[in-house]
Amino acid sequence: MMHTEQTLVAERRRKTILSVVLAIICVIYVLPVAAVVVNSFKLNTFVKTETFALPTEQSFAGFSNFITGMTFGNYPFLKSALYSVVITILSTGLILLFCSMAAWYIARVNSRACRAIYYLCVFSMVVPFQMVMFTLSKTADTLKLNTPWTIPIVYLGFGAGLAIFMFVGFVKSIPLEIEEAAAIDGCGPLRTFFSVVLPMLKPTLISVGILEIMWVWNDYLLPVLVLDLNEYRTIPIHIQYLKGSYGTVDLGATMALILLSIVPVIIFYLACQKHIIKGVAAGAVKG
Amino acid sequence: MAEVSLRHIRKVYPNTERGRRGGLFGRRRSEQGRASTQGRASTLKVTDEGVLAVPDFNLEIADREFVVLVGPSGCGKSTTLRMVAGLEEISGGELHIDGRLMNDVAPKDRDIAMVFQSYALYPHMTVRENLSFPLKLRKMPQEQIDTKVSEAAKTLGITEYLDRKPKALSGGQRQRVAIGRAIVREPKVLLMDEPLSNLDAKLRNQMRAEIIKLRQRIDSTFIYVTHDQTEAMTLGDRIVIMRDGEVQQVGTPQEVFDHPANIFVAGFIGVPQMNFFDAELVRTGAAYEVRVGGVVVAPSAEKQARLAAHDVPTQPITLGIRPEHVSLATGGARTLQGTVDVSEMMGSSVHLHLRSLGQDVIVIVQTMDVDGSHRGGYAIGETVEFTFGGDVIHLFATDATGGNLEF
Repeated sequence: MMHTEQTLVAERRRKTILSVVLAIICVIYVLPVAAVVVNSFKLNTFVKTETFALPTEQSFAGFSNFITGMTFGNYPFLKSALYSVVITILSTGLILLFCSMAAWYIARVNSRACRAIYYLCVFSMVVPFQMVMFTLSKTADTLKLNTPWTIPIVYLGFGAGLAIFMFVGFVKSIPLEIEEAAAIDGCGPLRTFFSVVLPMLKPTLISVGILEIMWVWNDYLLPVLVLDLNEYRTIPIHIQYLKGSYGTVDLGATMALILLSIVPVIIFYLACQKHIIKGVAAGAVKG
Repeated sequence: MAEVSLRHIRKVYPNTERGRRGGLFGRRRSEQGRASTQGRASTLKVTDEGVLAVPDFNLEIADREFVVLVGPSGCGKSTTLRMVAGLEEISGGELHIDGRLMNDVAPKDRDIAMVFQSYALYPHMTVRENLSFPLKLRKMPQEQIDTKVSEAAKTLGITEYLDRKPKALSGGQRQRVAIGRAIVREPKVLLMDEPLSNLDAKLRNQMRAEIIKLRQRIDSTFIYVTHDQTEAMTLGDRIVIMRDGEVQQVGTPQEVFDHPANIFVAGFIGVPQMNFFDAELVRTGAAYEVRVGGVVVAPSAEKQARLAAHDVPTQPITLGIRPEHVSLATGGARTLQGTVDVSEMMGSSVHLHLRSLGQDVIVIVQTMDVDGSHRGGYAIGETVEFTFGGDVIHLFATDATGGNLEF
């Protein structure tokens, strides 16, 4: 009896400690975002001195930071926003289409070549971008992959690893009989893919799509290395250009633009959260 | 609507990587098939080429015939069916449907339809879309599709579920939809791969009756695969009994029941299983008799004639008698004794498991006579006597094949 009570108390204590630790981790994660939100409404001079304080009557700047940020320099913010949207949509579309097709083939055709491609894709996930970025930017220049319309091909290459990994997992959980039924019903491979397999991949399409959108939208390094920056800028690059001459930085405006750039992603994520969990879990457990 | 002819059909699952050529349709199962055959590979032949799943399959199926392939799991029946469907590459031999060589024709161009054990419905489509999908692929006009779909739905009693998704249906309803999808385009050959195995016993009986009815209504040739001998007996015009890829016997249900070609068929067909005894066949001049446990039984004149025609000599044999042909007796020279091991009450009858001559013997005893008098129960350990007639015995050789000596 005593023993049971002791275990219960120990258990409760363990849970309390765990909760506290997790709460601290949560705060650490939220803090930078909170700082961005708070500081985007503060006057520039208060950003450094009262970083985590809420805006006071004295420090409140209203929407002036947003206006400054959006009109700063000679490159219109809306143009970079437009390029960001174009690159994100094209890249995600390419990744979803090609990787789901490739994953279907890899999962269904059990040849040595397919296994090699699969492991190559998985391996590509652990290669850091910094290792390949300089050779890549040179190659991209040579191949004219340095415009918003062609950079999605580079993104396709970098996104393929994760996407193929997730799609293969899910395709393997789809019973083969369904595709065989389609073959007997009169589908060729293409028709089978688009009419039967692709609709069944929907949960994974959504989760891969969300992950890729968040990555491409926020990506700074690849466009900065590859794009011709006088002509094409994305939002992260635009923010970086808020640095004035002699290294001065308009921190208020920077915070405002960062907020503007993360709001769509947050809204998007919240709207699709349900599907993300479903899609990630879908391939893992046979349903 | 079509004859199907399988001549010297062979299936080999190659061992080497190079042998397993990649391709989206037809060859993908090789890995899986190989694994499953190797799991219990002891009896399957392994050659230099690979595992021989079906060594030499020959069968002529008539127009509108209902043929059932039956056998224990791993005997190659599904592989054979999948070769007819075109889902599995044919390693050797010729497959003709309606006189046309089909070996290298794509599944969609063979004019066949298939019902899978797992239903294989398209989960993202409603029942109506599932049924109309094969017709749409054939570019049939929409009105015609609607008519055909509603006809098929009416035939199978699924009209009210037409707008539901498969996941909202029960197992039996799903199987009806799967059958509906197969019959809606009126294929020449309808292939069914254990379609009732996923259903519970009651539903299975019901669906079996539905398939018999369906069969009267449509003109297709049926090839049906099952491991359940009851399904085989009730559905088939002819039954093909397979074991380790080889055909053991082909015949009508009555033929295979009355004249099993070997011990395997005798044991596989019939519930409860046939009883087997070690016995001796003795020939004196033209007359034969069977000696089992000190009892002498004379085979019927018909059997005697067949044995004589094959000039069967005196030899030890395995004697087979079906449980329903054994009757309890009291006294008499031709009775054997056994002790009751288990007594299973089945309602109209009792299945008595006896221990006799070192063997398990099953006897079916009716619980009620025609005059309404009940037979008493049987206590475990009780000694009973039983007998059987000479016209219901089956005589098998004691060699590895266990062939019927009358054949």
